[in-house]
Amino acid sequence: MTVQSPSRTTHPDSPGSPAFVQRSPMKPRSGWRRRLTKLDEKGAPYAYISPFFILFGVVGLFPLLYTAWVSLHKWSLIGGQGNFVGLKNYTDVLAQPYFWNALKNTISIFLLSSVPQVIAALLIAAALDSGLRARTLWRMGVLLPYVVAPVAVALIFSDLFGDKFGLVNHLLGLVGIDPIQWHKEVLPSHVAIATMVNFRWTGYNALIFLAAMQAIPRDYYEAAMIDGAGRVRTFFSITVPQLRATIIFVVITSTIGGLQIFDEPRMYDQYGLGGADRQWQTLTLYLYQLGWTQKNFGRAAAVAWMLFLIVVIFAVVNFLVTRRIASKGQR
Amino acid sequence: MTSRSTRIGAPSVRSRHAVLATLTVGLMALTACSSGSSGDGAATQAGSTGGAGGPVTLTLATFNQFGYEELIPEFEKSHPNIKVTHKKAATSNEARDNFFTRLSAGSGMADVEAVEVDWLPEMLQYSDKFNDLNSPDVAGRWLDWKAKAATDADGHLIGYGTDSGPEAICYRSDLFKKAGLPSDRESVAKLFGNTWESYFAAGKQFKAKSKVPFFDSIGATYQGMVNQIPAAYENPSDDSITATDNADVKKVYDQVIQAGITDGLSAKLQQWGDDWTASFQKDGFATMLCPGWMVGVIEGNAKGVKGWDVANTFPGGGGNWGGSYLTVPKQSAHPKEAQILASWLTAPEQQVKAFKKVGAFPSQKQALESQDLLSFKVASFNEAPTGQIFADRAKAVTVTPYKGTHYFAINDAMQQALTRVEQGTSPQESWDKWLGDVKALG
Amino acid sequence: MTAPTLTPGPAVKPAVKTRRGAGLVRRTQASPTAYVFLAIVLVGSAFPLWWSYVIGSKDSAAIVQDPYSFIPGGHFVQNASTVITTIPFWKALGNSILVSGTVSVLVVLFSAMAGFAFAKLRFRGRSGLLVFVIATMAVPTQLGIVPLFIVMSKLGWIGSLWAVILPSAVSAFGVFWMTQYLHEALPDELIEASRVDGASTLRTFWSVALPAARPGAAMLGLFTFIATWTNFFWPFIILDPGNPTLPVALQQLQAAYFVDYSLVLNGVVLMALPLIVLFVFAGKQLVSGIMQGAVKG
Repeated sequence: MTVQSPSRTTHPDSPGSPAFVQRSPMKPRSGWRRRLTKLDEKGAPYAYISPFFILFGVVGLFPLLYTAWVSLHKWSLIGGQGNFVGLKNYTDVLAQPYFWNALKNTISIFLLSSVPQVIAALLIAAALDSGLRARTLWRMGVLLPYVVAPVAVALIFSDLFGDKFGLVNHLLGLVGIDPIQWHKEVLPSHVAIATMVNFRWTGYNALIFLAAMQAIPRDYYEAAMIDGAGRVRTFFSITVPQLRATIIFVVITSTIGGLQIFDEPRMYDQYGLGGADRQWQTLTLYLYQLGWTQKNFGRAAAVAWMLFLIVVIFAVVNFLVTRRIASKGQR
Repeated sequence: MTSRSTRIGAPSVRSRHAVLATLTVGLMALTACSSGSSGDGAATQAGSTGGAGGPVTLTLATFNQFGYEELIPEFEKSHPNIKVTHKKAATSNEARDNFFTRLSAGSGMADVEAVEVDWLPEMLQYSDKFNDLNSPDVAGRWLDWKAKAATDADGHLIGYGTDSGPEAICYRSDLFKKAGLPSDRESVAKLFGNTWESYFAAGKQFKAKSKVPFFDSIGATYQGMVNQIPAAYENPSDDSITATDNADVKKVYDQVIQAGITDGLSAKLQQWGDDWTASFQKDGFATMLCPGWMVGVIEGNAKGVKGWDVANTFPGGGGNWGGSYLTVPKQSAHPKEAQILASWLTAPEQQVKAFKKVGAFPSQKQALESQDLLSFKVASFNEAPTGQIFADRAKAVTVTPYKGTHYFAINDAMQQALTRVEQGTSPQESWDKWLGDVKALG
Repeated sequence: MTAPTLTPGPAVKPAVKTRRGAGLVRRTQASPTAYVFLAIVLVGSAFPLWWSYVIGSKDSAAIVQDPYSFIPGGHFVQNASTVITTIPFWKALGNSILVSGTVSVLVVLFSAMAGFAFAKLRFRGRSGLLVFVIATMAVPTQLGIVPLFIVMSKLGWIGSLWAVILPSAVSAFGVFWMTQYLHEALPDELIEASRVDGASTLRTFWSVALPAARPGAAMLGLFTFIATWTNFFWPFIILDPGNPTLPVALQQLQAAYFVDYSLVLNGVVLMALPLIVLFVFAGKQLVSGIMQGAVKG
């Protein structure tokens, strides 16, 4: 609940958050009516979350547990379940250099995509939040990349980043820069993939930030203006701290999405395995290769679970870091 | 593994979603073992409604271009009791997904299902789920290697061959002329000879006089070579991995690197990549291994570029790349009628019509003698008599390479090894990495 | 720093609290810099759609011969009619509208319900369950497909639109989002007041929480609609080629030995058009929704 408190300081007029169920004063009622109300209070929360959880149990939890079960067995994609092997799939995978390579690539692409993305999204949101003419047009405009089918985005971008005849290298050539080996060198391939990701998601995150910015009380800004603070200053001393919770939300969701990146690296070349020397093989591509090329479903499941743990760790770390950064300047 | 076929294995795979196809293989296995046979797929099954005595409606599932659109009404006319619903999937991959999904679910398959040669080995592992189509009517209809590939260990014929992909060599006659080499297709065929050594020697001759690389990729060329080894990666008798100890594989590896890298004949492009596609407009390379259907790919990519032609030869004997079969799953409620349909569609007369319509080259012996086929020419290939040429190439195919359960994973690793070499890794280092990859499969 | 760490404050700041200032005084006029900056962003954003249109309006020969021309050709309508007749376009369009619409409604409803409970009701296991919901977002979906397929085959839903709708109707992101939103956008005083009036939680949810959730729900709905509309992976696996959604149907355009990208990208534009129409309507609603929330609370 630590995070909730800052939002309270944000809005001094907020009366805290009483749990309405317990504190609410009640009018005297007849016995059955009271029992009914009590039942409503006790049972209702569960009723509200149950549609989600029931459906989730079928289409989410079952697959999750099933994967855990698979990871503890020798399990062929074609032949199905084999012997129980305990944690052997996990130790096997940890002993493979490709796993560590994939982990490294995943983190590298994640950093290249999420950091610039969040910063750009914040800037775009700030620009959108200033008194623009034709607001709707601008707002919807930044969401355009999101409506284009991912297939098309991949088709277009992989064409742009062609090693020999791509447009990017063509343009670099015009200004006298040697062509970059987008599909051979490690870092350029990560940059190219991160570009695809940033392209599709920056506007989306900008709108989320915008929605939150809209709710920042205008008098905060007015007060700052009167104090003589400039735009940049107000952005850092008011906007960013006020958006703290939203930034945390965006960072957590994009961490989770970013570490599971699959489509972009898969479609980056025509083979979909992450490069001849695994230059851009991410963890999801690695588990895909284990499961579907090598048909070793047990190992693939083990990677899935380790990826799951890594994502959780990253999400928590990011949460802590973001909270700290975003709360600076708030005092 | 399908990613493999994106490059070389499958003619019909062009999409970046190639990889997806593999998914369902897993789905199939897992569902099969978890659910045995699951309940009603009636909702998804369009056909199979015929009552006693009434007309029977069959579903036919194909993909890509089979050229059957105009044949079906013809069939219905001559078989008044059978109606046909044609379900057409886009790519071989999409079809394969649907195929294995429904096979695993135990319901929902069409009465006649088309299967591509690339997933035929996987499918043959479940040959007991398909009807044996052996029949005196069709005995000896196909080229031996074509029928053999669809026959399971018990001698059951699981699929009727439709088209095939006999390989020749396509080349740019204009670039040959510019280099001062013979450029008409007979002389070029002689120049290429019929061994890999002579083909590569021709390449060196060409390279001495031209700046254009001789062939597109060492990976693609390797594929033509390795397909001539009867058992490259696995032992046919017990499916154990023999790839790393097979001297033939190493020999082909060294030979193709010598030609492509050391002698500089390769354009170092990877097939189906964006650079490869673009290179058709930019004199990217002068020759490529070329199954019949590749003519259409070249025509499309090289629009406006004049000079492509095809030489009637293939190094090291013959080679096949691609082609399909029609199968009748046991799920079908009308196996007899389904077999009649499959047999009719794959009869030589029909396949010749399909060839003329969409270029799917027939796999039937008799079709290869057809005057209609032999007189067929492609205008944009300098009026090359492709009917005659590919008929000759089909007869030259002698080896049906064994592809076991690890084939795709091993071959994938090999293609990556070759790409690494094209990107600058030393051949030995790349080979060692491949050895490690194959060992990790065990 | 225990479990509740994952329940940060609101995704969207409480509209209510802003009623003092918002809508009365716009902060300032946007500076020219903002216009220039956004114009650049907009050009970049529109690029792939524009590029798809450029390619989609040429004939196939023009693409291969001049791949980097930014000027559209004159064949858009002609290509579009080829696309529409080559694939079961209208059926796919209907299916896509049905699937995306149903999924959006279900996601918004389920997320709002669960979000309301997580944000405003107190019950045993609340924090634990919320953390659990967020953690489920971390499960790699690639592997989940296999067991999910097993479920669908047991239900006999292979090839059915329900097999696409139901898995998408569960959105951990949505629950997280609505929890965040309602936590602040729904003032406790309002709930309190509703309680005092003796309203049941259902009534409170319906007449107090849902209206307050509207701006957040509109955005969630729009995002969900677009995401479902462009979703390819799972529908491709589970649906029949004869009964597809748009992305699955468009895949069929690549069915040839030589793929005609003028048709493929024409299809991409056709697929995006309904979304852009949706933008025109929902966009206004969405933007005003955000503002309304700010004014009305």
